[in-house]
Amino acid sequence: QLPLSLLNAAQNKPMLVELKNGETFNGHLVNCDNFMNITLREVYQTNADGDRFWKLKECYIRGSTIKYLRVPDTLLDAVKEEQNKAREAGRSARGAHVSGAGNRGV
Amino acid sequence: MDSLIPFTTSGSLVDCVDRKMLVVLRDGRKLQGVLRSYDQFANLVLEDTVERIYFRDLFAETWRGLFLIRGENVVLLGEVDLDQEDDVPLRQVAWNELEPYYQQELAAKRIREETKAQVLFEQKGFCKEGGEGDGY
Repeated sequence: QLPLSLLNAAQNKPMLVELKNGETFNGHLVNCDNFMNITLREVYQTNADGDRFWKLKECYIRGSTIKYLRVPDTLLDAVKEEQNKAREAGRSARGAHVSGAGNRGV
Repeated sequence: MDSLIPFTTSGSLVDCVDRKMLVVLRDGRKLQGVLRSYDQFANLVLEDTVERIYFRDLFAETWRGLFLIRGENVVLLGEVDLDQEDDVPLRQVAWNELEPYYQQELAAKRIREETKAQVLFEQKGFCKEGGEGDGY
């Protein structure tokens, strides 16, 4: 799936965001959009040299300043699981509807 | 050898998906991982990523996990030949041992590049724009 859809699936998960200037933000993803703008909560911010720290309850990061995001390794599997579950749910719902309509004729 | 077949579609990353790739970032970092997905901006999802640093005839690796890399920070992508990837003529050492030397070399390189840019600007009329923050 697309990188941004992986990001959307990572809501409420912890992650590390490194900006282009080398600062890092460790926190839980609240929300994100198609520009990769994100909001995090319970954030630990570190400067590029790693010698100054801040704790922020919430923060907003503009997508254009992001270098990369590191997410939990289990996220890919979790997303695949959710996609399968959604597909199963859709299939069983559609299946029930179709068989109900078919029996009417008999 | 035959992983060097040129790609059939121009500018497409579809042939790289689910393959182990080397990614060089603009800050000079070299990451190796399995490319899982990409989009029109070349944002990448890299799984089981390892970061590698080099110094003289040594190298060191550290595990980084799952990455979502913003496309504009990528310099290049290269496919890793799984048959040859262990034939490296370098010796592997521990990350925490090599890192200080690597950082030293990085700092020296940054100073060299800055003086170079300054000389080019003052003496040869090169402009100072572009390449900000690039460490590759």
